[in-house]
Amino acid sequence: MAGVRLEKIHKSFGADAVAVRALDLEIAEREFLSLLGPSGCGKTTTLRMLAGLEQPTSGRIFIGGREVTEVAPGRRDIAMVFQSYALYPHMTVGENIAYPLKKRGVPSAERKAMVARTVDLLQLGPLVDRKPRQLSGGQQQRVALGRAIVRDPAVFLLDEPLSNLDAKLRAHMRAELIQLQKRLGKTMVYVTHDQLEAMTMSDRIAIMNKGELQQLGTPDEIYRRPANRFVAGFVGTPAMNFATGRMTVADGRPAFAGAGLTIPLPPGHPVEGEAGAGGRAVEIGIRPEDVVVGEGPFEGRIRVVEPTGHETIVLFAAGEADLVTRVPGGIALKAGEAVRFRVRAENAHLFDQADGRRLGAAAGH
Amino acid sequence: MTRRGPVAQAIYSLFAWTVVLIVAFPLVWMVLTSLKPQFELFTIPPTILPQEPTLEHYARLLNETPFPLYFRNSALIAVGTTMLVVVVATLGAHSLVRFAYPGRRWLAQMVLFTYLLPSVVLIIPLYLLMVWVGVANTLFSLVIAYTTFALPFALWLLRSFMAAIPDELEHAALVDGATRMEAFVDVILPQALPGVISTALFTFILAWNEYLYALVLVNRDDARPLTTGVINMLTSAFNIEWSLLMAASVMMSVPLIVAFAFLQKHLTRGFGAGGVKG
Repeated sequence: MAGVRLEKIHKSFGADAVAVRALDLEIAEREFLSLLGPSGCGKTTTLRMLAGLEQPTSGRIFIGGREVTEVAPGRRDIAMVFQSYALYPHMTVGENIAYPLKKRGVPSAERKAMVARTVDLLQLGPLVDRKPRQLSGGQQQRVALGRAIVRDPAVFLLDEPLSNLDAKLRAHMRAELIQLQKRLGKTMVYVTHDQLEAMTMSDRIAIMNKGELQQLGTPDEIYRRPANRFVAGFVGTPAMNFATGRMTVADGRPAFAGAGLTIPLPPGHPVEGEAGAGGRAVEIGIRPEDVVVGEGPFEGRIRVVEPTGHETIVLFAAGEADLVTRVPGGIALKAGEAVRFRVRAENAHLFDQADGRRLGAAAGH
Repeated sequence: MTRRGPVAQAIYSLFAWTVVLIVAFPLVWMVLTSLKPQFELFTIPPTILPQEPTLEHYARLLNETPFPLYFRNSALIAVGTTMLVVVVATLGAHSLVRFAYPGRRWLAQMVLFTYLLPSVVLIIPLYLLMVWVGVANTLFSLVIAYTTFALPFALWLLRSFMAAIPDELEHAALVDGATRMEAFVDVILPQALPGVISTALFTFILAWNEYLYALVLVNRDDARPLTTGVINMLTSAFNIEWSLLMAASVMMSVPLIVAFAFLQKHLTRGFGAGGVKG
């Protein structure tokens, strides 16, 4: 068992700077879990506590069923890839990869064989005798991975490992990392602020904000059933449309009214069970793809058209709200034009204005 | 570098060479004088190049005077001080940069403050301290004394080097299974090497050339370093043995010149890094 468990982890720097608050997190063996959130949300601090580079103020950490809260980083059976790669500049690629083995007292012959295997796996053969500064960003990245892989740790910790690469290489390394994780069959904890990385690579994502865990779920759950306003707004590009208003009743059905729009909710909408009416102050959230232009009960005026090739992002004003939608590329729309549109209300989310919680989430929807 | 016209270039060169000549002349004269026989020193008009070059002064110095003893003393003091300062300063600078503890900043500033005191002020207290501890009149007392004023500068020089080394390197080493000390030796120290070499050179030169402390703290002949020993041996109220003195000066300069020649590249890099990080 090489899962990871964090129990009531709390970390503060000084009196008022709380980095991580009462974090409970369980990561299964062989799972690829991403810690996702904006900068300063506590994700890197969490990873560093897992690595043993930072001591939690309170709480306990288990790796593979063994408590490691007080254990030195080198004895936790983990490997870490740093954002800057942290390759030792005075050592060659081969020496860099061999270093963790050396520190564990692996005999020289065995060490050579293990380094050779890793070098093969990552296709670093021709670079073995080079120094890190003679490598490109992508190559350095692979060496950093190699140094982590070589000693076969129980858990890999990756701190924004792709953020220093250019976009094309990043897409390539993403795919390589996923394959590598499947092949190695290891638990990976991956810190990123890039939702695309988290969505594409993870088995599950833990979204954090201001030191607190916002939601833990599969990429699909995170996207379709965000636990709260923060998660809904953080995940998705372009971001979800929001409008504030109140719950009301239209045609005998619960409906949202605000920003000049009244949107009735269809039968079976998760919000039905939970205080559907009664003037409650709410915020509605609608994904861009759930705003369908062309026909429908609402009218708006196009403000900006952003063609990206295979699709076009359209910003338009409707009532007092600014809405974003995506339409297939090639549809001719111009700024200033009036459009009619409808909303797929069955996919709309309603959030409590007071605490940001998604209505209906408690019922398991 | 800005481009200059040929005239400006010539003026710059002339100026630079003038400065070099002014600086180099005493050194050249020292070497030439040490090779002249005694009678040639005071001839009028003076000769520039030795008419009958001789190494007799060097031979006399090595065979008939305590010069070798002083040389050994100086070497021991300079090497001892350098080792002590480098060990304490690298660890100390690392601590000042990496570890968070109360009073860290204050400590760093106090260290600099001690460097601001003129060394003359500290001689008497240091001497009393040495007597009290029972090491007065020994080579060791000079090692300690030189450490007191080399260390603050060394700490500050190395501090800027250490600060430029990313934390992540050390963290990577810790995760890779190194202890804190191993991470320091395997990863931090090689990165700080130019700084360490600068520090070592600076300390060595300081300990090798120091005169005032050596004069006050040591008055036993067999514990004198070169600086005070040579003066003591070759000058008296009535006579100065110029050619011997010049030969001694040449030999005293050799270790520094050799050290400089090998490490000069690192030294300039080191002093640069003190001001501009990166």
